Amino acid sequence: MSTTVIPIVALSIAFLAPVLAFGQSPVFVGDLTPKPASPVPAGPAPRTPDGKPDLSGLWQRPYVPDMTKTTKDQQGTAELPFTADGLKAWKSYDAANGDYTGSCLPFGLLRSMNSPDPIQIMQSPAYVAPLYEQNTWFHVIPIGKKHREGATPTWFGDSAGHWEGDTFVVDTVNFNGRTRLDTIGHPHSDALRVMERFTRTDAMHIAYEVTIDDPKIFTRPWTNQRIFTLRPDWEIMEYSCEENNKDLYEGHLKPPPR
Amino acid sequence: MLAVCVAGAGLLVSASIPLAAHHSFAAEFDSTKAVTLQGAVTKLDWMNPHIWIYLDTQDESGTVAHRQCEGGPPNALTRNGWSKDSLKIGDQATIEGFRSKDGTNTCNARSVKLPGGKSVFAGSADDGAPKRPAQ
Repeated sequence: MSTTVIPIVALSIAFLAPVLAFGQSPVFVGDLTPKPASPVPAGPAPRTPDGKPDLSGLWQRPYVPDMTKTTKDQQGTAELPFTADGLKAWKSYDAANGDYTGSCLPFGLLRSMNSPDPIQIMQSPAYVAPLYEQNTWFHVIPIGKKHREGATPTWFGDSAGHWEGDTFVVDTVNFNGRTRLDTIGHPHSDALRVMERFTRTDAMHIAYEVTIDDPKIFTRPWTNQRIFTLRPDWEIMEYSCEENNKDLYEGHLKPPPR
Repeated sequence: MLAVCVAGAGLLVSASIPLAAHHSFAAEFDSTKAVTLQGAVTKLDWMNPHIWIYLDTQDESGTVAHRQCEGGPPNALTRNGWSKDSLKIGDQATIEGFRSKDGTNTCNARSVKLPGGKSVFAGSADDGAPKRPAQ
């Protein structure tokens, strides 16, 4: 293994040397020539100083526009167990009458986790915070705390995180009920409870599992499983949904019903 | 030389519900109205949440139409190696896509090709939009 790592490190130092030669403040000069590949981590999951698996990093994820579908790095639930009300909510949905994301309203927890853009995960002993490139949103998950009582329901919900061995478990409730689970528009209600499990299986991957529990819409909980891949060669980018949302500004799509 | 071709492709399009990365495809575009536009690029918006390509097309009578097509998100395109300089004002481009439901000169671009067949802005997202039939 060392025979492959050493040349990469050497390349990295060689690449950095000219930058450092100009002082402490490297200036971006628009050089788009190919760069040496970033060192690719290998081996087991790294750990933080407090001994927990380190979830930090920029993660590429499968785009999941439809949580019933199984695609690369995504295992869906093909048949959703709708209640009568749930089936009615699903059958009556027509995005042409207004998809709230077209208006750049917050995607909410599920559609943010299902989005095609990467997420940057920040981690400390007290918090884990996914930074979603999609629309430059973020979500803060306190570790070891209870859900807030009497809090106003929100788009992303109220999350409480805890460690189960080497798996970080996130329990989220108190959604405002104005979002959809995925781009295709699968419904949920304000009774939604989302359980997410993050397991860094090795240096390059997180096994992610999300369970949807909404007794108003589904007769039983159901699950998707995914693989996230570390992208040390990427950096998170700015994303402003409002910047040039011509679809909405010019009336090509409708704002959502209120 | 310049042409606009609207194909009645509904029967050939996949029955699956089409999607786009930012908002639902079906919220704005019609998967039964495939369109091929050929013309000169007049402007490019390299901005979130989608790039927009503007081009002037001309029909057989010589009438010029100003058209605009939504492309992929600039972040994903950037990671795939494209930039705002990949398509220049005046370039002759062929765009294959789908028309908007509102009847304006607006489309969702599924492919953008330059003379010689070189594709630009390709591979922005596997977003589940319908496959276009062969032209």
